[in-house]
Amino acid sequence: MSNQFKNLNRRDFLKKTAAAGALGALGANGLITQAMAAGDTVHFMAWSAAVDLVKSHVAEFQKVTGINVNYSNAPWAQYRDNLITKFVGNAPIDMMWVSDAWLPEWAEAGWIKPVDKFDNLMKYNAEAEKFCNDSMTYKGSQYGLTYYTDFMAFLYDDEALKKAGISNPPKSWDEVTEQCLKIKNAGIAEYPLMLALAQESWLIEFLAAMTYSHGGNFTDDKGNSIMQDPKEGAVRALQWVVDAVHKHKIVSPASVEIGELTGLKAFASGNHAFALEPKYRMRTLNDPKQSKIAGRVKQALMPMGMDGSHATVGWMRFHGMSASAAADKTRAENTARLIEWFGGKANGEYKFQKYLFTDIGAGFGVKPLFNDADVQNAYNSYADVNIIKEQQALARKKDVVTPWFGEWNEVHGSSWQAAILQKATPAEAMAKAGKKWDELKKEMG
Amino acid sequence: MRSSPKRDIKFRLARRFDYESRSAALFILPVMSVLAIVAVFPILYSFYTSFFNLKLTRPHRVPFVWFDNYIKVLSDELFWASVSRTVSFTVMSVAAILVLSLSIAILLNESFRGRRLLSAIILIPWAIPTVANGLLWKWIYDSGFGALNGLLFQLGIIDSYITWLGDSDKTIPLISNSFVWKEVPLAAILILVTMKSIPEDLYRAAKVDGANVFKRFIHITIPSLKPGFMLVMIYETMMAIRHFDLFFLLTEGGPAEASHVVSWQIYVETFRNLSFGTGSAMSYILALVTFALAYFIIRTLGSKL
Amino acid sequence: MKPTTFDARSEIYRNKSQTTARLRNLSIFVFSILLLAYVLGPIAWLLSSSFQTEAEIVSVPPHWIPDEPTLKNFEAIFFSEFEEVTYDTRKKADPVSGGYIPSTAKDLLPSMWNSFLVSIAVVMLNLFVGVPAAYAMAKIRFWGRDGTIYTILTTRVIPDIALVVPFFLVIKNLGLLDHIASLIVTYLAVTVPFTVFILVSFFESLPDELDKAARVDGCSRLQTLNKVFLPLSLPSLVAVMLFAFLTSWNEFLLALMFTQTIASQTLPIIVAGFTSDFTISFSFINAAGVIAVIPPVVLAVMFERYIVSGLTAGAVKG
Repeated sequence: MSNQFKNLNRRDFLKKTAAAGALGALGANGLITQAMAAGDTVHFMAWSAAVDLVKSHVAEFQKVTGINVNYSNAPWAQYRDNLITKFVGNAPIDMMWVSDAWLPEWAEAGWIKPVDKFDNLMKYNAEAEKFCNDSMTYKGSQYGLTYYTDFMAFLYDDEALKKAGISNPPKSWDEVTEQCLKIKNAGIAEYPLMLALAQESWLIEFLAAMTYSHGGNFTDDKGNSIMQDPKEGAVRALQWVVDAVHKHKIVSPASVEIGELTGLKAFASGNHAFALEPKYRMRTLNDPKQSKIAGRVKQALMPMGMDGSHATVGWMRFHGMSASAAADKTRAENTARLIEWFGGKANGEYKFQKYLFTDIGAGFGVKPLFNDADVQNAYNSYADVNIIKEQQALARKKDVVTPWFGEWNEVHGSSWQAAILQKATPAEAMAKAGKKWDELKKEMG
Repeated sequence: MRSSPKRDIKFRLARRFDYESRSAALFILPVMSVLAIVAVFPILYSFYTSFFNLKLTRPHRVPFVWFDNYIKVLSDELFWASVSRTVSFTVMSVAAILVLSLSIAILLNESFRGRRLLSAIILIPWAIPTVANGLLWKWIYDSGFGALNGLLFQLGIIDSYITWLGDSDKTIPLISNSFVWKEVPLAAILILVTMKSIPEDLYRAAKVDGANVFKRFIHITIPSLKPGFMLVMIYETMMAIRHFDLFFLLTEGGPAEASHVVSWQIYVETFRNLSFGTGSAMSYILALVTFALAYFIIRTLGSKL
Repeated sequence: MKPTTFDARSEIYRNKSQTTARLRNLSIFVFSILLLAYVLGPIAWLLSSSFQTEAEIVSVPPHWIPDEPTLKNFEAIFFSEFEEVTYDTRKKADPVSGGYIPSTAKDLLPSMWNSFLVSIAVVMLNLFVGVPAAYAMAKIRFWGRDGTIYTILTTRVIPDIALVVPFFLVIKNLGLLDHIASLIVTYLAVTVPFTVFILVSFFESLPDELDKAARVDGCSRLQTLNKVFLPLSLPSLVAVMLFAFLTSWNEFLLALMFTQTIASQTLPIIVAGFTSDFTISFSFINAAGVIAVIPPVVLAVMFERYIVSGLTAGAVKG
């Protein structure tokens, strides 16, 4: 091989490398750090939901108060990990969104602090749903104001039911089975009931809704596990799901891999007649632009199990204050003002909660908004406010929210899945979850 | 007979500071400083935490517990179940990667029309960001809408839709498939580069000796590819053992622990359970095994390393 | 002058009987088709779905060719104008367009630029730091050589999950949070061990005589590396460059922790942000995936002929 040839290619190669290097040098401009924001900036961390609404609300806050806000967000799926890293690494965070399920953990870890002493925040409690106030309270202290709240609803496709000759939605889980079989046999849907039971943060909400409506509890008043007790609903609820999948074949065996969002899309494309979904999904499901069954989706009260009730599970997310913000008087005050701006009133109205509802349908935690004309119009266009109110009154806080919730939740979720995959009986599965609970309670309680 | 310690040291010192060693030190300095600044602290930090009962929900009680975390992890049934899943994931992934990348390298080593186009195309999977890749596969595998079911159905291979990731027997192989798909391009390139460096003389000489194509392949190509195989095996074994992203994006360890591999368990232990102590201990056990495997591969396949 | 590749094997084949040649061509053809199907199957779906609406993407069975192809995903990425977000201009989460376009769509291109800068910088630094080290380890016998190799390897055996928090502490103490330099530094540390490893293995396969001859001719170590080894190592250098570039291009976990704003956020972070807890658009994410593939593939096409054409074949004769 000739030398010339070799060198040419090498030069050629170097030229290209150099060109790429020049590009890199151009980018060095980007390396110059932006001046760090001034000390009175409030650092606000949220997950990437309603991003534009948050931005516009932050912009207005800055205009009105002159306080600078540094807003950033991370995807919901990685939000918790991201915040934990930042808490441990002591990164500047003043206000952040918190899920009710994380409250005890984060409070015990010393990452978030109560906001009891801020009268401008506490004054909103009178108008807020009791469920929300309870869910933000840990060991007697309140940790923030509501961002949004919702509950698990039982939804059905009215037309599918009519086609199968069913006039009224089911009142009990037995009736669900009957109606599903009718719909299945009529060839309307292969799997009439949609349950999204994949491992993800939604799973506990579905399982809790099933358990509560079967008249069950996970724990008793003292916080001891009763989930393994066959009379306490969890085992029955699980048995019902297992039968629905294997005996009646009315729920897809793939439900263990279906997440909430995929399940929503499946229901919206008309593959199912019934679904457990967060209530706010009714807006999407009845929007013809996003759903093939728009206008047909109605809500029924959660079916009852044996000895059960129409109870369901509720959840909420709130605006919290970090420990580092609470430690500094000015920072704490600025942060409290921002919390009020989002969770309380802004310029005299519950603006954020209202817009969040009208934009995406997410439920609000303040009662007066039910009387707002825009809110009523929006609700009436796709849902029945009376049923919503009735069901919301039956929504219960998860009785497993403790400092060891996360750890138990992993075992509990996979126990249900194991039973659905027939790798364990419902009794065995719940016994495992109960045993884990007892261990953790003993270790950390 | 040993030389006197004094002389020995003097001799070694002299050797250490001769020109060769000086230039070697100079050449190695940059890489070592980068690693010292960025990588050493994290490694020591997580090693250090592995000896404490560090549960973040108990910030004021963090006792030093010697090897308790290690004992706890090693006596945990779930850990051993995870280990066996990690082993099967790693074995099937690395085997598939080796076979595929070798075949691709052989193909691209031939000259034919369209070779350059083909070699550009095979790089595409590698270039899709992990997150987009995970969501792409999630949708492909989806039992209700997925492209995989759709394709098999349209081709008449199946007559009703199949449960994919939700079937605990299929979960690991399917995740492995997505992993392999993304990893093969790099492996193929590494093998191809090695293949290109085999001197043509060897083939000519063998041909003169009357060796046919297959003999030449067995006796020249395969042995000469040892360094390439070693690179691929070490790199891909390390990647597969520690792989986390697809488990996170596709199944979160489910259904029912079917994809609960060690890396997933480390994540759960650290970020979900907030037990940094046991999480670090688990990481160190995994690291030790990974290192041992890498060492073994180097000793077996490496020429002079 | 257009370099023509001299492939000795083509000479061999010319002497073969025609049937063998045909058999060879046929098997190349068949295998190429199989390979294309394997690689391009998912890509075809990625591409096709990026032109579909969110309503069409849930069709059963899937539409391989969109019924109503739409460009709205790409329009949102390329033509979103920056405007101040106020109550009036805010994007509501489910707009009337019938599909969900995240309001952060406009961040995709800036984040891609960040990714590109980071990746290029990591590539350059990898070569700068990795090449001399690899040469020293492959060709210089020095005290502690084996130890060095295993030390470097050790930095990559610990799962990244366990390193996230301490890495974060390092970056914070270096004052690099929300800054692309944080990614350049960490990605360099993450990639350089394998870079060294790949290059060591390649340099070792080059005959020692080359090294000795250069040294006898009076070349310093640096000159030997520059004049003798580098020209012979183009394929492996390109492999290393691709490796460093794509690892940086893909990395997610660390970027998630270190970056906060679009000043430093990279492509994977913005793409992940397209999934919110309220809604998700798979078609949009796939459009983002399509765009994300373009820069690395263009670079690969530019450089890979140094691998595929096999410059060094036959050159290593000492």
